[in-house]
Amino acid sequence: MAAPEPLLWLAAAIGVAGIGVLRFAWSKRKRSIPLNTAGWALLALAAIGGGAAEGAWGVSVVSLFAMGAAALALAHAAATSPQGKGSASVRRVRMLPEMGGKLHLGRRVVTFLLVAIAGLAVSVGLGVALRGLAGIAGMSEANSNVAAFFAVPVLWALLSFFLLMLERRRGQILLLLACCIPILPLFLTGAPA
Amino acid sequence: MKFAPETSTVKQALSAHAVIGLVAGALLYLVCLTGTVVVFYEEWQRVEQPAAPEMEQIAPAAVQRAVESVMASEAGKPPTTHLYVHMPVADLPRTTITTDSQAVHVDSDGRIVEPEENAWAEFLLALHYRLNLPSLIGITIVGALGAMIFALALSGVIAHPRIFRDAFRLRARQSGGVALADWHNRMSVWTLPFTLAIALTGAMIGLASLAAYGIGLRYYGGDAEAAYAPIFGEEGTPDPAPRPAPNVAKALEYMQAHYPGVEITYVTLHDPGTAGQHIQVLGEHPQRLIFGEYYEFGPAGDFEKTAGLADGDLGQQAAASTYNLHFGNYGGLPVKIAYVIFGFALTAICATGTYIWLGKRRRRGLSEPRLMAAWDAVVWGTPLMLAMAFLARLAIGNAAPLEAIFWIGSLAILVGNVALAERLPGRKILLWLLGIGSAAGLILAV
Repeated sequence: MAAPEPLLWLAAAIGVAGIGVLRFAWSKRKRSIPLNTAGWALLALAAIGGGAAEGAWGVSVVSLFAMGAAALALAHAAATSPQGKGSASVRRVRMLPEMGGKLHLGRRVVTFLLVAIAGLAVSVGLGVALRGLAGIAGMSEANSNVAAFFAVPVLWALLSFFLLMLERRRGQILLLLACCIPILPLFLTGAPA
Repeated sequence: MKFAPETSTVKQALSAHAVIGLVAGALLYLVCLTGTVVVFYEEWQRVEQPAAPEMEQIAPAAVQRAVESVMASEAGKPPTTHLYVHMPVADLPRTTITTDSQAVHVDSDGRIVEPEENAWAEFLLALHYRLNLPSLIGITIVGALGAMIFALALSGVIAHPRIFRDAFRLRARQSGGVALADWHNRMSVWTLPFTLAIALTGAMIGLASLAAYGIGLRYYGGDAEAAYAPIFGEEGTPDPAPRPAPNVAKALEYMQAHYPGVEITYVTLHDPGTAGQHIQVLGEHPQRLIFGEYYEFGPAGDFEKTAGLADGDLGQQAAASTYNLHFGNYGGLPVKIAYVIFGFALTAICATGTYIWLGKRRRRGLSEPRLMAAWDAVVWGTPLMLAMAFLARLAIGNAAPLEAIFWIGSLAILVGNVALAERLPGRKILLWLLGIGSAAGLILAV
């Protein structure tokens, strides 16, 4: 295996420094915008440096260095943490009924079906529509297909999140229907393969 | 200037986070745990069969002899559709030939030595890839879990407005559920790039069949496989007329002469021994995330083209990068170790999420020993049964029924722990057994 470019090691060092600056910034009593900005800017610079040195491989390696540095900082925080009594949040998330409340199983099953089944079906439809749009826009067949492959899980994850953020069933159904609009042309017209 | 979301948004995001985490919790935990363990897929194979012949490299002529020997050994059987030669590489310096009906190790002279015996590594991979379910169903469920991890990361960040500000605040020795929540939140923040990379690549790999089905239905006359052809290359046209074995040696010599910097990892023969046969050499490029480039050769070993994974369309390069980015095999042992550390962190995040929810309910006065016992059984029983399956592999051999041992054992632990929830210290017993099982596995493996 050939040795990586020296710029990669510099970028990794900048990434570690970025973690150090954020660690310092977040330890201060008051929020420091210059320090926060410097920390994030160093992390961004590290990613750019990694990319310039060795492309996507470089970005991945630099990210591992930065995450490793953060893990060490966390390990130190854990090791030096004082003993104490506390009480964590008791916020309800309404996953299960309390004090003899009803389970509302039917409502939960409908929510699951909307998010897991309808949401996935709509996401696949959107991915296929995106593939068609990419083809019409002149993207190559490979790029168009890969765009759809990546789009399906991302769209489904986002759709699941937004569906669960809506409390009312009407809003959930409207969101799903709205997401179907870009899919409709697929049924009406074709796109070049 | 503050970028804090509304309280109602935070509350709803926490609900969404909990709903996804709790519904998919056990499977998420299983997939994260097995994904972490299977990072050492190659190393497990060396542990399973330590005496298999190893070599730094193998001569093209020896590969040719090995291919011909294996094809000759299958005379009279239904012809294999593919023949794979695993070439010796740093992680797994072995030459192994796999067909539709067998897998054998060969020595550096190309002689067949013994059958490949890697049931444990294959079991782990199948458990992670498809939960030991039929291929399409299993991989789609695992892909769905990847998408849910992405949704969990998004909802988790929105549900905790101070999550970045507190990113180094780890009150590891505080009681009252504080330590558990801090571990969950801190590990989540600092593994976020890793989590997103793993989740998206896993979801893309897992849900690709479904997406390909949709694309195939709309654009390729119902042929889902055709959606992959522009990315990874096309299969040749079959022609069953018998022919001698293809000239693999010539193809490998061409690679040595023209691509000396490329490390050959696999040679695949499509429809070997027929008129439709062709050779595909997979070459790994240093300092790249792609799993390799396909070099296509005709039956006579003449170079034809590359698929374009290394230098073709951006989409091809991106698709070819998902596998190594997901499994962490793009930088040797250091990257694998980093993936194991972050993988265990992600596994712990899955485990602590449900414990946090149970803890909140307990602090609100809802004592639920059976729910707690069930989750204990998942968190500690799963690694225990993985250890038991590994021990069974070492003790019984390659034919050990690993899937049955793992799933029946896991179910028995779950039922037993719930049934004895208030009568026995289930978690303590599981931890003891896990410690003993892991130690025994380590001793036997070494």
